[in-house]
Amino acid sequence: MSLSRRKFLQTTLLTSIAGSGLLLGCSRASKQILSVPNASDASLGMWLRVGSDDQITVVVPSAEMGQGVTTSLTSIVAEELEVELSRVQVALAPANTEYNNPEMGMQGTGGSNSVLAWWEPLRKIGASARSMLVQAAAQQMQVPATECTVEDGVVKHPSGKSLRYGEVAAAAAKLEVPSEPALKASKDYRYVGKSTPRLDNRAKVTGSAQFGIDVQVPGMLYAAVRQSPVFGAEVASYDDAWARQQKGVVAVVPIPNGVAVVADSYWRARKAMLALPVTFEGGKTLGQSDASIRESFVAALDDVGKATLSGGQMIDVEYEVPYLAHATMEPMNCTADVQPNRCTVWAPTQFPGMAKGKVADLTGLDEEQVTINCTYLGGGFGRRAEQDFLVHAVLVSKAVGKPVKLIWTREEDTQHDFYRPAYLSRLQVQLGADGAPEQWEHQLAGPSILSQLTERAFDTRIISSVMGWLDWDMTSTEGTKLPYRVKDSNVDYAIVDPGVPVGFWRSVGSSHNAFTVESVMDEAAHLAGKDPLEYRLALLQDHPRHANVLKRAAEDAGWGSPLPSGHAQGLAVHESFKSIVAHVFEVSVENGAVRVHKVHSAIDCGRYVNPEIIRQQVEGSIVFGISSTLREKISIQAGQVSNSNYHDYPVARMTDSPEISVSLMENDEAPGGVGEPGVPPVAPALCNAIFAATGKRIRKLPIADQLA
Amino acid sequence: MKKLNINNQTVEVDFDEDTPLLWVIRDEAGLTGTKFGCGIAQCGACTVHIDGVPVRSCSYPASAVPESARITTVEGLAGDELHPVQQAWMEVQVPQCGYCQSGQILAAAALLENNRTPSDEEIDAAMTNICRCGTYPRIRKAIRRAAELMA
Repeated sequence: MSLSRRKFLQTTLLTSIAGSGLLLGCSRASKQILSVPNASDASLGMWLRVGSDDQITVVVPSAEMGQGVTTSLTSIVAEELEVELSRVQVALAPANTEYNNPEMGMQGTGGSNSVLAWWEPLRKIGASARSMLVQAAAQQMQVPATECTVEDGVVKHPSGKSLRYGEVAAAAAKLEVPSEPALKASKDYRYVGKSTPRLDNRAKVTGSAQFGIDVQVPGMLYAAVRQSPVFGAEVASYDDAWARQQKGVVAVVPIPNGVAVVADSYWRARKAMLALPVTFEGGKTLGQSDASIRESFVAALDDVGKATLSGGQMIDVEYEVPYLAHATMEPMNCTADVQPNRCTVWAPTQFPGMAKGKVADLTGLDEEQVTINCTYLGGGFGRRAEQDFLVHAVLVSKAVGKPVKLIWTREEDTQHDFYRPAYLSRLQVQLGADGAPEQWEHQLAGPSILSQLTERAFDTRIISSVMGWLDWDMTSTEGTKLPYRVKDSNVDYAIVDPGVPVGFWRSVGSSHNAFTVESVMDEAAHLAGKDPLEYRLALLQDHPRHANVLKRAAEDAGWGSPLPSGHAQGLAVHESFKSIVAHVFEVSVENGAVRVHKVHSAIDCGRYVNPEIIRQQVEGSIVFGISSTLREKISIQAGQVSNSNYHDYPVARMTDSPEISVSLMENDEAPGGVGEPGVPPVAPALCNAIFAATGKRIRKLPIADQLA
Repeated sequence: MKKLNINNQTVEVDFDEDTPLLWVIRDEAGLTGTKFGCGIAQCGACTVHIDGVPVRSCSYPASAVPESARITTVEGLAGDELHPVQQAWMEVQVPQCGYCQSGQILAAAALLENNRTPSDEEIDAAMTNICRCGTYPRIRKAIRRAAELMA
């Protein structure tokens, strides 16, 4: 990475910083960045702001959706900058190509890659700024910079002279940017690798954290939406005159596949929207049902055909998973203010970079006239990679000429998600004389997220970078590749798209493939009469990191030791997003219901920033995985989703939550992700434990009443 | 216009008869710490106290709240210092996305007000709010810690 002069440093008055604040802006100016940020963004300082009152603000380029990224990325900057982390303020980056994720080539948060993508660029930004501040202070103190040290934002010289960052920021801003700033040695780290408290803790326990739904713009109206229950259906008619007679209603605005009712309060907009006479026609999922979708998967797999095995000990099974909703706690929402010569959007979005072009297209404005401000996200899990809610808000504001806050009902959120696809898998596995798998044949049928992304006519630049980022069809097949030494293994994938919208759901392809693969490995171990742990370890010769993670979780769980009566353990290990996670589940089954008592987990995510945040992510992933494994299923009937809210799309609650311990592997490997990799091994470890407890093999999710 | 006592302040608010308390708190009183999650009293993100009793404000008509009643939202829970439940929440580092935590904290504060030594079963029974990030193990731990701080 090189740093350019172009917009590296600026000194501008900023009212949001107390007193006469001075700004220090850095640019990564890496190869992917082609455009120049507009003046208003630049005036805020692109990366770092140092106030004359010594208030330091770090601009975080990733979306904070609970994964702790504002803390982990700010820690990396503060480490090199040598300032006390607890007094650094965080600003969420608006849409600007400057903040393009280096791994993705666009501004977005997904694939669990924020830390690994931003680690080196942010180190250099912090180190460059420190170097310039030290140089400026040294000049002012008339001492050599090499003799100076920094302690919490104070540049000190052995003579006793010292200057605060805030006192020299203006002078530092005029200095040349070092091309290769000196970076701290890892042995000197104060924050990186340590469990520093999250910077968003206080705002999130006092109610002051601002989510998308909390945005308030003077003079704004409120909107509620109604989309066609059948996917892709068009509005045939609605009673505009009736709507306008309703108290407070200002307008009914057409949106893709539906209408938005605009009123002077959210409650009035919502009431009128629910009562509005509206009819729909057509739709691409007309006539589809759970049964018809499954039949189409079966037909596709029949076309592919099964492998012929040579006999002896064999496995020949089918595994099945349903469509799943994200069900973020904050329903989809967005606030937009479209004016003739500019548009401002406040959005809880994972992909602000994509939003900017989209808004320009919708409004006819230039991208330079569009501002996308990012808020905290009340959950993301991949749902907020989509732009649909943002499109609604912009269209509605454009139509009424006023700022509008648009909020979906929970029912709309449940019925108009981009779901984790349903899949059907067939596996044929041949065991050798020693019981180890010799031939592994896997045929998979179901929708492709990537092909739908293409269909949704995303910007072609974005599509090409998404493909580069995810590799072709990894969205469906990732996680099918075995870490185990198996002589012959094949995966066939048949794309079948019943038309139900699909998208990225926490851990994507691994969310279902890990269930299939690690369950079948367990079946193979039992068929061979081997202990599931020993069986796997014997086949992990080529993947010592997998073996070590698995051993660690098993040790923590006391694998093989006596358990309370009725309890049994199951395990699974899986690599996703460059990290490896193993879980050991301890369960009991009583009266047809499974109870998860304990989970011992181990994660190898290479070099890491904040272990406590990683534990939080793994704990959360375990509960998220338990939730979908036990009960979650989006059901399609008559072409539409029949679930509507948390009562009929039940997600995990306190009573489902086990005791959890998480161990982190210590090594110096390249950093891996932590937001998603804890999810994939949950379903297989849980179902393998059920098998150990009851002898019943779960091959279809959710478990629901299969144990009754 | 109707007077409501929110966080020991009298606010004059105007709303339709059937408006849930949630929207009056958020949009009329401007206190956005209380969240909208489901609209049918399933998730608890909208939990506030009315005279110390936790209610799900998305399904509670504002017109049913007497003028004499004290409504407490997350913004009004702390005194000069954070409420022990909020302190414990920070110590244990409960929040992830944080969206449900106002409701979780209000539910926990009400539980501990009446029961300083809740059993696991009592925590299960009182804490039915949904957290999609899965912070439940830490919520349980933080409730125990808050009980210590309140002792």
